[in-house]
Amino acid sequence: MGNSMSASFAPECTELKKTYDSCFNEWYSEKFLKGKSVENECTKEWYAYIGCVNENLKKKSIQSALDDARKEAPFESGGELVNANANANANKK
Amino acid sequence: MVLFHANAHIFQNDFNSVTSVVFNKYPNPYANHVLSVDTIDRKVDENGNLLTTRLIRKKGKLPKWIEYIVGSRITESWMIEFTMVDPKKKIMKSFNRNIDHVRLLQVEEYTTYQYDEIPKHTVVNSKVKFTSGFHVGIRSKIEKMSLSRFESGVEKSRLGMALVMKRVEEQRKRTSLQDII
Repeated sequence: MGNSMSASFAPECTELKKTYDSCFNEWYSEKFLKGKSVENECTKEWYAYIGCVNENLKKKSIQSALDDARKEAPFESGGELVNANANANANKK
Repeated sequence: MVLFHANAHIFQNDFNSVTSVVFNKYPNPYANHVLSVDTIDRKVDENGNLLTTRLIRKKGKLPKWIEYIVGSRITESWMIEFTMVDPKKKIMKSFNRNIDHVRLLQVEEYTTYQYDEIPKHTVVNSKVKFTSGFHVGIRSKIEKMSLSRFESGVEKSRLGMALVMKRVEEQRKRTSLQDII
């Protein structure tokens, strides 16, 4: 989707991010949702991109707050939002 | 006091398009405040659900009176977003919250996107919670300011999604044409 993709917080990762995102978008829409694949096929693109992100996160003061927040993992098995349907259903107008 | 906001919306689009929009919502001309979006974790879990964690950076100017209370200028904020996509039940859930300035204000948003086979549309339900850690009085002013800002942004956010929806559906059409050729 060309220039319609968002930038990375670290400018040097933006190109790697775009390459990964286009790979992901196609896999998600054409394979994952159609039940054709549960293996993420964009591993090469992913490792290039996430390596860049992790390297640059180290320089950011947000990193420790982020590390704490990530532990919440609300949708992991046992996470607090795994079965939280009731929450949204209660809001139906 | 804690404030809540709830809203529901129906997209006349299928699950594939709506959830692709969630992943590709930015940039769009209705969301110039979003500076960057990074995926920091992604995997398919043992149930076949796709779990994604993203880090989003937004710029935002706070009213002067809040800057005065906080004693510094806040020009940007970081958010974490967790999503889960169940491709069989055609449901996506997302949870996001800011991870900095949390004592001043914590905004937590919980959204579900559920596809309905019969009318062939996707129902979006969203609930947002505003909590300020400041002392009474100011706390309630901050929460009210934040809620009203959020509510005035809801329409913009939908317009942005609709615009990205067009892009996503054109892309899907192109891809399926390639499959045929």
